[in-house]
Amino acid sequence: MSSEHADRADAPPLTETIAPGTATDPDVKSAEEATVTVDGQDIVVPEGSTIIEAIEAAETAGEVPALCYYDRDSPEAEKIGPRSECRTCMVETDEHGMVPSCSFPAEDGLTISTDDEAATEARDVNLDLVLSDHNLRCTTCGKNGRCELQDAAIDNDVEEPRYGVFDDREAYEPLDDSSDFIQIDRNKCILCNRCVEACNDVQVEGVLRMEGHGADTRIGFQNGSETMEDSTCVSCGHCVTVCPTGSLVEQGITDAATIPLPGFSQKNSIGKSLESTGKEKKGPMTRMKRDEPKDLTSEARTDENPGDWL
Amino acid sequence: MTDPSERTTALRVAGADAAGLAASAERDGVPVVAVGSTGARALEPLVVATHEGTSAFVPNADADDVAAAVDALADGTLPDADARVDHDEVQASLPIPSIEGFAGERSVLARCGWTDPRDPDDYANAVGFSDADADAVLDAAEGLRGRGWGDWCADEPYADLWAGVRERDGPTSVVVNAHGNPGDALLLESDPFAVLDGASAAARAVDADYLYLYASEADEAALERARDAAAARDYGVPVEVVAGPDVYRAAEPTMAIEAIEGNHRLEARLRPPGPEVEGIYGNPTVVHTARTYAHLAGAIHGDAPETRVVSVTGDVADATTVELAESDTVASATAAAGVDDFTAACVGGKFGGITTDLDVGLAPEDLDEADLGTEGVVEVLGEDRCPVAFVGQRTNVASETNCGRCVPCREGTTQLTEKLRDVYDGTYDEGGMTELMGVMESTSICAFGRDVPRTVRTAMREFDDAFEAHADGDCPSGTCAVGGTQ
Ligand code: SF4
Ligand code: SF4
Ligand code: SF4
Ligand code: FES
Repeated sequence: MSSEHADRADAPPLTETIAPGTATDPDVKSAEEATVTVDGQDIVVPEGSTIIEAIEAAETAGEVPALCYYDRDSPEAEKIGPRSECRTCMVETDEHGMVPSCSFPAEDGLTISTDDEAATEARDVNLDLVLSDHNLRCTTCGKNGRCELQDAAIDNDVEEPRYGVFDDREAYEPLDDSSDFIQIDRNKCILCNRCVEACNDVQVEGVLRMEGHGADTRIGFQNGSETMEDSTCVSCGHCVTVCPTGSLVEQGITDAATIPLPGFSQKNSIGKSLESTGKEKKGPMTRMKRDEPKDLTSEARTDENPGDWL
Repeated sequence: MTDPSERTTALRVAGADAAGLAASAERDGVPVVAVGSTGARALEPLVVATHEGTSAFVPNADADDVAAAVDALADGTLPDADARVDHDEVQASLPIPSIEGFAGERSVLARCGWTDPRDPDDYANAVGFSDADADAVLDAAEGLRGRGWGDWCADEPYADLWAGVRERDGPTSVVVNAHGNPGDALLLESDPFAVLDGASAAARAVDADYLYLYASEADEAALERARDAAAARDYGVPVEVVAGPDVYRAAEPTMAIEAIEGNHRLEARLRPPGPEVEGIYGNPTVVHTARTYAHLAGAIHGDAPETRVVSVTGDVADATTVELAESDTVASATAAAGVDDFTAACVGGKFGGITTDLDVGLAPEDLDEADLGTEGVVEVLGEDRCPVAFVGQRTNVASETNCGRCVPCREGTTQLTEKLRDVYDGTYDEGGMTELMGVMESTSICAFGRDVPRTVRTAMREFDDAFEAHADGDCPSGTCAVGGTQ
């Protein structure tokens, strides 16, 4: 891609150091205070709101999991999301049809229903789709009992997810156990992007990124390394605190919630892991040399070569 | 050599290797011009020898054919040819021969393969660059609609949106999205000045500070002509050419913006608000296809026929792009491309609708009513193709090439592929697929995920028997090994 236009007068200065791999979303928040109707109740929300703020203030008729929405009252949380990727927050509006409540501006006069049949079905199907790509091995998970996906599935009365769960052990990504501070289990990642934003937008460390595309989309490292140990991570831990699932867990408590049975451990649940190489540890806040970002946009599969799909 | 009136005798060589062939044929007294493709790619290199109001067409020409044609013209005659067309002595557009590869009168494609795509004076003489002011441009745009999925206003009027952008503060951009669609690439390659004429008019209408020409890195000729054309004259606004990666999703308007900004990884942006509010570097931006701007240029010059640029791809020797009246049919396009026998066509781009009935009008309303797409691409599935395998493969490609951002598309395409695999193992879960596809359509962030279901849904309707047969262990077209591995 050409980037000869970097000298454009209004182009932001090249933040060469940070490349999270994600799109620059527009500001999706409302421009002024608004009164909206949620399931028949009038709700007033301040400027800078999306529909979900009104939903949280109301007694809703339908269960709205809003799984990927990062709902914390702190100036830091303001910098995270909405990523609006899980689509488990869909609601019906008279004015715009079905919309994602976490990322739709709360315009004055909106009429919102949470128990609309199509919107309810959409939330259920999308939650099941999230589960279809999540190894539901809660019994060995360090976040068992404090996991937002588990909560959402329980609150939504999921009994048998339509598309099953990710249980093909052959296809599991190895556990990244190479760091002394943080363990990564990508088989539990829901790609909510919170960790990437915490690392880049809050901590401004530029370590984590979103990479790949399609079924191969994953969180990775901006220096191109395969393991946390070889990344430029400074072990601040912010990513762990925002992760809704057991994908990022502090070392030392990865088996804190594992049920006490012989052989039951987070590591055994995956069966393969990337370990620390034991090389001399970096001192705190030391950076590694940054690799060129890999070209992640070329695709092996094309229509001419659709591959063996069966 | 630039005034068309001097070209009452001329030799034109059209197509990808035209420049080399044309250079080899230079002779005193006979102008030889390397022009862009006519859209009939199967005929290229195509030699068009013109003398005193008649043009002779020699398809698939080699150096000897070119030499023979120049010799004939030097002698004041025409070479042996597959077709001849009589026309005006001074002709500003390609005369249409009655040979396979061509169809109908042309308006936006009129100069493709006729005028010199490297010479702005040729366009200036044939049409003239418009200097219409903002109000005149907005007037001409009234009632016109965007064309193709790379257009932010696909099938929607855009004049009001432009008027809004004009009022908005901030450095404004105009993007010509010619990524991926063969008709858009053809326009950039063969008549870039028409596209720039329309786009610079748009820039005046929205009071833009920047103009970008964006195309796939795979369309090298289009990029090269675009770069030359951008540098050839002053358009009243700085023009920059940007190549995007050769992947389907890169044509999605917000991914086009991400590519123009230089992001190394492309994913869609949330909306609303759309690019007309926060586009390139967060500033107001209009994104339309090359076709949209070419049609606008025509309208500004008083030539606004209701036509569609249609490309026929798939199981054909080479892609063929034609221009047809909206009242004409998909069948006319495939006939022009020489398609006789086929299993079905995927109408409307990569995730268009599957149909066996091509007697459908080309107007967006007609295509929509038939649950087909309006992208202006008809992909032919040849005689020996199995429609069930086709949708399985297409869905699999969707699962591997989506941007990875949203669950209904990223995970939905994976599960839909699984369900299509299950058909081969005896389970045809029509209800489950319909439910899943409904949610992909209503909740995906961008048109990629919203369009994928159309291909599967229409195939299930059109080839219901074939789906049932596969589930029963039989592939009616005999191409799939059902029940085992393929
Ligand atoms: S712990 Fe490392 S990866 Fe996580 S936010 Fe801090 S620097 Fe980034
Ligand atoms: S690791 Fe956790 S925070 Fe990061 S994208 Fe995955 S689920 Fe979200
Ligand atoms: S619909 Fe598909 S291509 Fe579009 S944002 Fe979602 S995952 Fe990306
Ligand atoms: S919470 Fe709205 S899309 Fe995930």
